Amino acid sequence: MSNTISGLPQIDWGNVQLEVHKPSDGQSDFFHTLEGAIGNAEELKSGAEQQVASVLQGNGQDLHAAMIAVEKADLSFQLMMQVRNKIVAAYQQVSQMSF
Amino acid sequence: MNLFGVLDINSSALTAERERAEIVASNLANAETTHTPTGGPYKRQNVVFETKQPDLGSFAMTLTRFGDLHARGVKVEKVVQDKTPPLRRYVPGHPDADPQGYVSFPDINPVEEMVNLMGAAQAYQLNVSATQATKSMISETIQLLS
Repeated sequence: MSNTISGLPQIDWGNVQLEVHKPSDGQSDFFHTLEGAIGNAEELKSGAEQQVASVLQGNGQDLHAAMIAVEKADLSFQLMMQVRNKIVAAYQQVSQMSF
Repeated sequence: MNLFGVLDINSSALTAERERAEIVASNLANAETTHTPTGGPYKRQNVVFETKQPDLGSFAMTLTRFGDLHARGVKVEKVVQDKTPPLRRYVPGHPDADPQGYVSFPDINPVEEMVNLMGAAQAYQLNVSATQATKSMISETIQLLS
């Protein structure tokens, strides 16, 4: 798939992989995919928390940097929720398969 | 770079414009300052902007592995002092007056500084708008999944 928005560099999407935790037996499943998404959201959330606390404590932290960190955390949470909804829906569809 | 990287660029611009506004505020505050720790009157300051490679957060790093990044943020590379000579006003009895009774005042034009401040404020607003646009781009992209 190529990105053809003018002015943007051509991006090789072939190398992009979602970083997910792999279970010890080397196989990935629904829950580990979900875990990876939650992990990313969690990381950004704690970063945002730190920055907001820093602003409130008057450490000279940039206000907008904290706001943007919060927004990033919010967006990654939304992304995580959508991924979760998708995974749960897929799981339910599989579990309701009739044999 | 993903869309989160665009947010980082917006953030760098906001930081740079804040620093520019700070310098202008300092110029305005010290428009009549005749006394500085280094001696002599206050010297008008100016910021010099430079492009900056955005620092990718770990989230961006895990999602993308792009080596060459064309998009750049901005940073204040240095703060330079204006070389214009100070204004000399005759104020005998002023503690900083020279033997002839003249005092050196910084050559700061408040109107010029206000225009600079307006420029910084406008640029800041512009980048806030860009941040909001980026945010809604990400939001709408996430909605694709539902």
